[in-house]
Amino acid sequence: MAAGSEVYILGGYQTDFARNWTKENKHFSALMRESVVGALEACEIAPEEVESAHVGNFAAELYCMQGHLGAFFTEVDPAFSGLPTSRHEAACASGSIALLAASAEIEAGRYDLQAVVGIEQMKTVDSGKGGTYLGTAAWFEEEAEGIDAPFPKLFGRLGDEYDKRYGLKDEHLAEISKINYANAKLNPNAQTRTWYMNKDHALDRSDDNPAIGGRIRISDCSQVTDGAVTLFLASREYAEKWAKGVGKKLSEIPRMKGWGHNTARLKFDDKVAESANDQYVLPHVRSTVMNAMKRAGIDGVDGIDGIETHDCFTTSEYMAIDHFGITAPGESWKAVEEGWLEIDGKHPINPSGGLIGAGHPVGATGCRQVLDAQLQVTGQAGAYQVEGAKNFQTLNIGGSGTTSCSFVVGVD
Amino acid sequence: MSSIVPLHKSPKEMRQLIASRKIERVVVLGANGTMGYGSAALFTQAVPEVTFLARTKEKADDGLAAAIKQVRSPTVANRAKTGSYDDDLVSACADADLIFEALTEDFDLKKDIFDKVEGARRDDSIVATVTSGLSINKLCEGRSDSFRKNFLGLHFFNPPNVIVGTELIAGDDTDPAIVDFIDAFATVLLGREMIRTADTPAFAGNRVGFKVMNEVAQLTEEIGVALTDKLIGPYTGRAMTPLATVDLVGWDIHRAIVDNVYDNTNDEVRETNKLPGFMATLMDKGVLGNKSGGGFFKKDGKTRLVLDPASGDYTPESEIKLPDLGYIDEVAALHRDGRYKEGMAVFANAEGEHAKIARKVIAGYVAYAFQRVGEVTETIDGIDRIMGMGFNVAPPSVLVDALGAKATVDMIAEAGLDVPAALAEAAQTEKKTGEPKRFFNHTRINVGKFFVAE
Repeated sequence: MAAGSEVYILGGYQTDFARNWTKENKHFSALMRESVVGALEACEIAPEEVESAHVGNFAAELYCMQGHLGAFFTEVDPAFSGLPTSRHEAACASGSIALLAASAEIEAGRYDLQAVVGIEQMKTVDSGKGGTYLGTAAWFEEEAEGIDAPFPKLFGRLGDEYDKRYGLKDEHLAEISKINYANAKLNPNAQTRTWYMNKDHALDRSDDNPAIGGRIRISDCSQVTDGAVTLFLASREYAEKWAKGVGKKLSEIPRMKGWGHNTARLKFDDKVAESANDQYVLPHVRSTVMNAMKRAGIDGVDGIDGIETHDCFTTSEYMAIDHFGITAPGESWKAVEEGWLEIDGKHPINPSGGLIGAGHPVGATGCRQVLDAQLQVTGQAGAYQVEGAKNFQTLNIGGSGTTSCSFVVGVD
Repeated sequence: MSSIVPLHKSPKEMRQLIASRKIERVVVLGANGTMGYGSAALFTQAVPEVTFLARTKEKADDGLAAAIKQVRSPTVANRAKTGSYDDDLVSACADADLIFEALTEDFDLKKDIFDKVEGARRDDSIVATVTSGLSINKLCEGRSDSFRKNFLGLHFFNPPNVIVGTELIAGDDTDPAIVDFIDAFATVLLGREMIRTADTPAFAGNRVGFKVMNEVAQLTEEIGVALTDKLIGPYTGRAMTPLATVDLVGWDIHRAIVDNVYDNTNDEVRETNKLPGFMATLMDKGVLGNKSGGGFFKKDGKTRLVLDPASGDYTPESEIKLPDLGYIDEVAALHRDGRYKEGMAVFANAEGEHAKIARKVIAGYVAYAFQRVGEVTETIDGIDRIMGMGFNVAPPSVLVDALGAKATVDMIAEAGLDVPAALAEAAQTEKKTGEPKRFFNHTRINVGKFFVAE
């Protein structure tokens, strides 16, 4: 296994995930521009310094009738004319894939400073059409075509699989939803920060919280979101110079200490069949998480101060709890009941609000998680700060547990 | 003025502060009104028992039904009780940790209900009013020490489930510990953006916000509704135009707020708060904005009709010929690509009388806000946050940052207004160093969202 990296995360910028860019009458280019310019300002970096750029995006061709996204960098600033750019796609893990590509280029010694944008504009279409577009992250013909809301159904089946193997109570899923919404109220850029939610509502079984895919109800779902996040990754050499310029020590600048990346069978049934004799329902997700920890030299989840995980549905967060090793397999409910997942708890998960509370602009999510991890380990997360956090881990999943990516972001 | 200094606490300290006392029972008085049921719904997110009280139990039940409809959750009922003042106020207030008054904006009515509350409450319960501009000190004048010590203004904006900007107003005798507690409670558990303001007429948000809305309403007498609405449009940093906002809040509410400010303040642009005569005339005929079926605008099927202020008649918008306003299209096109500074530079430099009229209103807004610093909030930041998160318009500092201090000062001078010292100083520095001073320093808050591309 390759060793952990010497890639530094200087900082970045997130757009407000509550915004509807169609209502503001704005073009995709504005979303890209705001996040890149915001990151340049936040990190005090001149555009001339950037040597290469990567864009993570799932489906702009469908949502915005727009491809060739890397080229939009040249529209942001005249200094970006001539910049090497590229675009990366792995469904909801697109942002993490862009980060992996950028960090690999730094490790290879090709470039010293990289801009990475995760971006998705989704409110251009109604929810029916949007649900169909999202279905292309599954095997479309076999798992999504002609099916209403295919992904809630697939992740409803993840819950069913837990139920079958270990038992699963809806009230534990409701608690997960409640915590994510409550944390989102502390995040100035969370989509649901003003939405009505408490545990009663998450457990509500009326038409105000309808079932949309098996056991999955509206309150179990992440959101349809417009958003972009830009991050700057740097080599040790650049990070040293940059830290000096902004009056910091190199040791205060977070590193991407470890990474994990796996792909499982595309169809959900095949994944479940593969794991029939495994104690983990999604073993490839488990190995992604453990690989990231190993590469970071961290021996288990007790060495991680907080997690930003892929709660596209409450069932995926429920799965993450035991896959991270917070509990034994099948016992995720214990962490819920013990209050370990709350910001002040033993294993805080999604202090930002996660995909349920903060929002889920598909291609941006991997980058948003890493930005939140960077804010946490530098003490800049504001009202959702986990006290004294030094190491944060992310888990970003594409499809029904198909592509999984994880990063350990930390300071020494 | 210590009461207008914002709370500076770490998240952990905030959570400790919240844990320092319990809010388990809230009573909402006037729970059948818009602010009453909206606030009551908000409390049910974080409080186990919320009692909706109104003149009759039926009215309180209506309030609960409206709350459920507003937040789209029948679970509000799990945490709600309903009752009437006559039958339930005494017992409910005796148990309450927080008593929240949301009656009509009528001083005597509020005074009467506080008489009843005073007789029923525990000495340590907090009493808050949602008044949007009546004096906090006057509302508790002559009451017991424990009442005055535990009394404050907690001004949610309508609708509270959508708008997070909230003003917190202490009276002269309010215990600072109570103010800090409510600040942390509302921030963390209700997701509010808290702004501390002085006990001045209409506080901070409505003082600045309605001044602009009223000045725009006055302008319609000179240049008509359609042109005014286009000139002070979304491109100037707002999702909703001032005239549409007056129609939404209601002409009667608008009148109550600007009359209060006009009667009880004497600032440098007092006449901009004088209600236009045509509005008073039309209100006598029942025109109240959207709630009466129309105001500056009216819908006739799919046709949008526009008011003629002089006659009170309506004309289809499509029949009104507007002058060439090409500069607005140019600004909107730049905003559409996220080039907000470039867009605002086009606005600042646009030629012709119409651009000048629009600049006068925007310059007037910025100047008025900066002139109120020290009077209504401690710094411009309080006004910025309530305008951004209470009114959903570009905060004054965001406009200054987008335009540059020098261009802002030029706009204010062009409008014939006094230049606030802070802006004059920043313009000097900008000229000397070439480096603009940044006024809006909430680096994680997107400022682009205020510049709508229309």
